[in-house]
Amino acid sequence: MGNLGASLRVVDAGASPAPTAPADPASQLSPHRERVVDATLVCLARHGTLKTTVDDIARQAGLSRATVYRAFPGGRDDVLAAVVDTEMARLFSALGVRLGEARDLTEALVAGIVEASSRIRGHAALGFLVAHEPEMVLGHLAFDESDRLLATASRFTAPFLARWMSPAEAGRVAEWATRIVLSYAIAPSEYTDLTDPVQATRLVETFVMPGIRALNASGVHPPIDITPFGLGSDLPTGTPSPASRTRGPARSDQDRLASAGPNTDHPEGDRS
Amino acid sequence: MRVRASAMRATRQRILEATYACVARWGIAKTTVEEAAREAGVSRATVYRTFPGGRDELVDAVVAWATLEFFALLYQEVQGADGLEEVMERGIMFAHRSIVEHEVLQLVMQTEPEKLLPSLTVESNRIRGGIADFLVPYLEERGVVDGVDLVEAADFLARMVLSYMSAPGRWDLDDRAQVAQLVRSELLAGVVAGPDRG
Repeated sequence: MGNLGASLRVVDAGASPAPTAPADPASQLSPHRERVVDATLVCLARHGTLKTTVDDIARQAGLSRATVYRAFPGGRDDVLAAVVDTEMARLFSALGVRLGEARDLTEALVAGIVEASSRIRGHAALGFLVAHEPEMVLGHLAFDESDRLLATASRFTAPFLARWMSPAEAGRVAEWATRIVLSYAIAPSEYTDLTDPVQATRLVETFVMPGIRALNASGVHPPIDITPFGLGSDLPTGTPSPASRTRGPARSDQDRLASAGPNTDHPEGDRS
Repeated sequence: MRVRASAMRATRQRILEATYACVARWGIAKTTVEEAAREAGVSRATVYRTFPGGRDELVDAVVAWATLEFFALLYQEVQGADGLEEVMERGIMFAHRSIVEHEVLQLVMQTEPEKLLPSLTVESNRIRGGIADFLVPYLEERGVVDGVDLVEAADFLARMVLSYMSAPGRWDLDDRAQVAQLVRSELLAGVVAGPDRG
């Protein structure tokens, strides 16, 4: 308990939601990285982080220890960080596919919520950690870390929703949907199972769509910051410029990266 | 019998307040039964009689006690509010401000977050249930949209309130106008019918 130094770092995954930005040199090119990550997921689902060694991972992957270390020079912690990055990227790319296929806003919200909820619930490694090493996971679900997680998820999903609303509104709605997914995933409800499309549709139609219409209709539009939230230190300037607060050209790198999926001007354009 | 029971309650309260003072000074990890007893001006034996589980029980009890205190203040803050919208606005603003300014909470979150996180996340049922139960009469008075289940709506609102309390995201919860907008859009738009009083 209390070994938070080794806590899984979701934060870093935020800077690179798509697997397109490996900042690191040679080890990133190892053909074995994904195999090691997948083997680690199997180990984590069985034994958690505390009892999973590089040997276990190597055995599970059918590779030698040396090969694992060539792919991940930092060893176990390095592998664990890659697991988080990879799983976030997999979640977001699955979300991208579902959101991209949706024909209207309700469909997009339902598809995104069901996809994310199902993946979270079906994630064996995550399930083991929540049950046996909660300190690895729960820290991301409250206060500042939760803000980061909301920012990461909404930064990635907002551009897909911007097909139906302004980027600023899309940011809010994406964040809201993320809150809903997290709340029902962390503490399942006796009323609503969001992995079930029928129940998710009911929740979206009952609570979310009227809220979106109200957001739209309320004349009061406080300045909505669509720059990546909670990542101030990564940004070139400390405070967002007025231009970055609204639809405009002054978007940050992270924003461009996040919107790399769909092309909001041509919704049907870029789906693969 | 009654006198003894109330004396025991007073002792319990005194020990909890003393323990809280220790936690505020040193964090949970460095708070021992000895320290708590000294701070409360009672013997170690009294602490163990009151909390037979010793340090672990004492720590759990003080976390639960501080949480209750927080909600007691919250309920006090929203007393006298005029209807559902105002209750939610005032409640959210107060909760946000209290959490940001809560030194002990911030200290514990930095040093021993594992002591608090379960009750805010996977074990949030009690807190969420408390918020939902509190909202039900206001929802009844306000009237919910046809076809919306009152209890389910209260549960949904409690989930969202907890979420915003813990992580404001893009909303500035110190800004009354934004909170009013939040309450009337993401929180209540699908739940209540007709115009509000605000």
